[in-house]
Amino acid sequence: MTQAVLCAIFNRMVEYRRDLDAVFAAVADPTRRAILATLTRKPATVTEIARPFPVSLNAISKHLMVLERAGLIRRKVIGREHHCSIEPKRLRQAAAWFDYYRIFWEERLDALEHHLVARAARPDVPASGPLRTALRVTVPSRGASK
Amino acid sequence: MLATAGEAYNRVVIRRLLPATREEVFAAWTDPESIAHCMYPGDVTRTEAQLDVRVGGSYRILMKGKSQDYDHTGVYQAVEPPAKLVFTWTSKGTENKTTLVTVEIFERGAQSELVLTHERFPTPEAAKRHEGGWGQIAGKLADYFAQGANN
Repeated sequence: MTQAVLCAIFNRMVEYRRDLDAVFAAVADPTRRAILATLTRKPATVTEIARPFPVSLNAISKHLMVLERAGLIRRKVIGREHHCSIEPKRLRQAAAWFDYYRIFWEERLDALEHHLVARAARPDVPASGPLRTALRVTVPSRGASK
Repeated sequence: MLATAGEAYNRVVIRRLLPATREEVFAAWTDPESIAHCMYPGDVTRTEAQLDVRVGGSYRILMKGKSQDYDHTGVYQAVEPPAKLVFTWTSKGTENKTTLVTVEIFERGAQSELVLTHERFPTPEAAKRHEGGWGQIAGKLADYFAQGANN
């Protein structure tokens, strides 16, 4: 993963200054994630959505309200039926956050691995002792290449 | 995209087999010099790390880049050598929201398996309960000095 791609993801992510708290709260619930999965396949009415779940229609309605308020689904009333469809943009914004940090941590663990290998090759350097507190260390980076 | 969304939109989980003992891996996560060596994404030119490694202790990792600085702060939630380290993680990259990183280290013969989980709190209230650390200490100090100034 090149630095350019990583920057692109980060920039896209911080463009969306809007609060993603509601989105993350919404997808934290497994029933709501299942509802989202259903709606990605195709739009559905509230009745259709509720059918496979062992909870009341009322409970499903509450979940749908949370999803709607988070901007993850759209609702349209046609006759007596409420038709729900997914709003992919908000989900993509949340996904960008996870994409960024997946790459970030993979790279940090690459660096950790190199660090551990380098340390093992220098047995004269003492291993870290008991947990240290409040130390300030400035370490110059190895430079642009990685 | 959403077929795997179940977990994908809740958390990042990374697993890695590392050529070191659990003690060595844990030490690398709690040693400011090791942390500074590992925390240098692309355009960073210098990294500074201050770690107060104890439950409720704070850390700060400042990555200085060419065009901007990347400041990361947090509070340790669990410190259980050599197996587990949990800390909050807050930075511009998390929209200054508190998130949670869990590092678990398992023995695999002469090597170790590291499992890193990075997740967002489901609600801002849940995040607040973990923020503690500098916020509380700074508040108490401010009160103390304010009292002193009035005497």
